[in-house]
Amino acid sequence: MEFPIAGVIVNPFLLAGTGFIVGILGGFLGVGGGFLAGPLMFWAGVPIDFVVGTDLAHMTGKSLVAARSHRALGHVDIRLAMLMVLGTVPGVEIGAQIIEALKPRGNTEQVVGIFYVIILTLIGSFTAWESMRTIRMKRTEHIDAQDAVERKGLLYQSRLFRIPPFVSLPVSGVGEVSVWAILFVGLLTGVLAGFLGVGGGFLRMPLMVYALGIPTHVAVGTDLFEIVISAGYGTLSHALKGNVDVLIALTMQTGAAIGAQIGVAATRYVSGPGIRLIFSFLPFLAAAMVLLRIAF
Amino acid sequence: MPIKRKSNDPSDPSFKPLMRSLALELCIYAPLVTVYFIVVLHYAKEPLVQLYQEGSTSYAFITLILILVQGVLLEVFTSWMLRRIGLR
Repeated sequence: MEFPIAGVIVNPFLLAGTGFIVGILGGFLGVGGGFLAGPLMFWAGVPIDFVVGTDLAHMTGKSLVAARSHRALGHVDIRLAMLMVLGTVPGVEIGAQIIEALKPRGNTEQVVGIFYVIILTLIGSFTAWESMRTIRMKRTEHIDAQDAVERKGLLYQSRLFRIPPFVSLPVSGVGEVSVWAILFVGLLTGVLAGFLGVGGGFLRMPLMVYALGIPTHVAVGTDLFEIVISAGYGTLSHALKGNVDVLIALTMQTGAAIGAQIGVAATRYVSGPGIRLIFSFLPFLAAAMVLLRIAF
Repeated sequence: MPIKRKSNDPSDPSFKPLMRSLALELCIYAPLVTVYFIVVLHYAKEPLVQLYQEGSTSYAFITLILILVQGVLLEVFTSWMLRRIGLR
């Protein structure tokens, strides 16, 4: 099928199929899926300048569908999301400035790529280790999964930072947490997202769980809500620059919207540590894709 | 503390109704999303290409609106239909 805006002929079933898979992942794990959809679009023949903008466009719709469904299940903490956005936005800008500073050296792609692989491997390894340990603890000590993180989690201790002002997050079941801790997590994920050129869902979700002590299901829903805001802004910005093919985005979203519904429903049948264990494979997959791109 | 029970066990009485509800929702939502895409492609393709070529800001906003309508309005409509026919 011809997509005249991007000036390409692409199989629409391939695009819708990609959207469907990314939709399931997004709804279930709270990630935008740009690290997967972007390379697949590029591989399908979509010009690179259209890949990022169009990916953001379909991500906005898919994340909105998933976030709405998560909200109906009580899995979206809007207060937390809004506070995190305040940290994420300047963080993305800082990350982008670091890229600009690296550009004159001429090896930006290698530096970013290696950093990306290290970060992804660390996140994947830690999440896999922690979720397996929690599942084991649940079996042997008969404690709630969230309690397991709260009692034994390492990064969870950052919630004990007692720097005022404080905010309570009743949706997340967090009585009192420093606003600075939330802003710090937002800023950190923003810097990484801006530096690595990704939406940052697979960075934000585990950080919300481990650094702020947010339950996994709420972290997934809240992350999707934040993606709606950031990807929506990105879509407008890229569309104004002529980098969005709305027809490709709608084709992908046809699959993604259906996939997202299935993904959200699946979270009702899997426990928090189970979701984190499945999630831990994603960073490894993304790292492998980056390594392939650097190598070839 | 006791382990929280979720309805992820097929023998759980709430498992089947939840699965049936999801299947019904998808049976309505999936065709709606697909029909919407085909209608937009059929009737709005040329105007959208023209808007893009003119480089107007309205292209950016229409892009966002089309995406949001496909995602949200159709889902709201599906929920409304399910309630209307008494399946939710």
